[in-house]
Amino acid sequence: SFNSSCSITALISPNFFSRSPSHLVGCIRTVKTTTWFDEHLTEDNQEYMRKTTAEEYRRQTAEKLNPLKDEPWQRHEWTEGSRRVGLVAVKLGMVPVWSKTGERHVVTMLQVQDCHVIKHLSKEEFDGHTAALVVGGKNVSPFNRSESQMEMFRNAGVPPKQKVTTFKVSDNALIKPGTPLYAAHYRPGQYVDVTAKSIGKGFQGVMKRWGFKGQPATHGQTKTHRRPGASGPGGDPAKVFKGKKMPGRMGNVYVTAHGLKIWRVNTKYNVLYVNGSIPGHKNCLLKVKRHTRAHKHTQTRK
Amino acid sequence: MSSCQTDRTVPPSCGRWATLRLGQIAFQRHFDRHGFRSTCACVCGRSDMAACGKGLDKFMFSLRLLRNLQLQNERFLSTSVCRLAVGGSSEQPPKFTPPSKPVIVDKTQTVASTRSHLSPEFIPPRQRTNPFKFYIERKDMIRRRKVLNIPEFYAGSILAVTMADPNASGKMNRFVGICIQRGGHGLGATFVLRNIIDNQGVEICYELYSPRIQQIEVLKLEKRLDDNLMYLRDALPEYCTVDPDMKPEPISPTGEVPVNKLKVRMRPKPWSKRWERPKFNIQGIRFDRSLTPEQMEHAQKWAQPWREYDMLKEYDTSKLEEQILSEVQREMSK
Repeated sequence: SFNSSCSITALISPNFFSRSPSHLVGCIRTVKTTTWFDEHLTEDNQEYMRKTTAEEYRRQTAEKLNPLKDEPWQRHEWTEGSRRVGLVAVKLGMVPVWSKTGERHVVTMLQVQDCHVIKHLSKEEFDGHTAALVVGGKNVSPFNRSESQMEMFRNAGVPPKQKVTTFKVSDNALIKPGTPLYAAHYRPGQYVDVTAKSIGKGFQGVMKRWGFKGQPATHGQTKTHRRPGASGPGGDPAKVFKGKKMPGRMGNVYVTAHGLKIWRVNTKYNVLYVNGSIPGHKNCLLKVKRHTRAHKHTQTRK
Repeated sequence: MSSCQTDRTVPPSCGRWATLRLGQIAFQRHFDRHGFRSTCACVCGRSDMAACGKGLDKFMFSLRLLRNLQLQNERFLSTSVCRLAVGGSSEQPPKFTPPSKPVIVDKTQTVASTRSHLSPEFIPPRQRTNPFKFYIERKDMIRRRKVLNIPEFYAGSILAVTMADPNASGKMNRFVGICIQRGGHGLGATFVLRNIIDNQGVEICYELYSPRIQQIEVLKLEKRLDDNLMYLRDALPEYCTVDPDMKPEPISPTGEVPVNKLKVRMRPKPWSKRWERPKFNIQGIRFDRSLTPEQMEHAQKWAQPWREYDMLKEYDTSKLEEQILSEVQREMSK
């Protein structure tokens, strides 16, 4: 079995204060409770563990590709208002694309790497209204995953994934856990919403975070060029309202880009060419789902 | 009778030799310095030694056959040899030998260049992107290159670009200019052409892989002392004027690209950028004509001499270039 994830802090060692600290110069260890999986193994054993996991992954993916061994659930007809499952993709980068009339557009390339359906949550389990499917993205090593997470992957017969998301799905679009999902899930011309964690900017001031104008650079301004200025009305409320825009941590939150057109689908390498820019850094994992036109901030004009 | 001979080349003892092989018949012709021609040939249809010695009539027949073959094979021999030979001992009046076809020098240079050159937009920048993304982009670039010939050119070369334009008469517009900058990586690679038309400087930035571009022609292939010739905007107009009806100059497929060591004279200051500063590192301007030595020294204050020793700024692309070049050449030849 594999190591559990880190627990709450524990004492380093009982002899810590008895020994002089000079021997610890140069040894910085921040995670003092867990061990790496290969810390107490010999070289051969480490190699063996790595090889076996790789083989296991390959075997698991290959198994899932065979519809005879693993019978899929029944396919239903599409009806108005039915929702399909989405995908988990990796953001590769941006390229220009030209249409047949010569107009130039910029697209982001998203690659669907090892996307598998992991679990099916029925209406009752999920929220009482719609069923849900849990889908996972890119394969990662099992050595740094907790036992509960590994149990979920083991039940599906699928290697552990880096990103796991839920998609609300109508009853006629249920998929058996373990089925792989590819870029061919979408066709060029369809519209998608892409959700990802935006690039973290750290603690930022009010001008960058909220777009405040700041103060002039000259004309007698004393030490005030990028400050927020006033914080609200005066004596009547006599308080600062909740949610006042102030400096703070910016970025590293889930942001969705709505209504992005798919220009091209490369089925050989599972790459989707999606219009415009997408939140997140390069090689980050994204959640891609079909656009439902319910949201007002869309790139499509319809 | 001469012995049976198949295609065997005998080293020249006198005069010129030509060894030819035509199907099953091999013959040798040689004439010595005195212009005599003696033909020894043998019909070796079934490599029969006995057939050679059969009779004189056979020999005569073979001679005639030879002459016909000889006329057919004129292409393989130089014209002069043929002419002399025919003028010699012929039994019939000499047949009209048409002159050999003239070799047309193709201006669009169909001779493949032996210079192996990798276009700079193939080299990926130093980023944290997955190299797989560059691979996919390269595939698209090669697909476009198979349709449109994008020739080798540098900043300083003179190009003519024909682009599809829905608003132009004839739906195409052609622009001739000197390339002052090549930028971008991958499919978004661009180059800027500058020319002065009717006393007005015009710069057009073209995308190499845009499908609107119908033809890119290199009228003059040369390099300059710098990679970026943006200073030509502040130079005297004579250095940017390119004749729109310029004829393409022949480009040698071998050897180095010629470097034009021209030092350009500038208009009086102010310039659009302070080109004398060391960060631009411009070799191609005659600063002594526009700046005093004191001004040049003052510009050196912005020098950053530690940058050449900064190891983190080093980006060695040689191995990557070789790899990408071999991949591109392989794909293009398919």
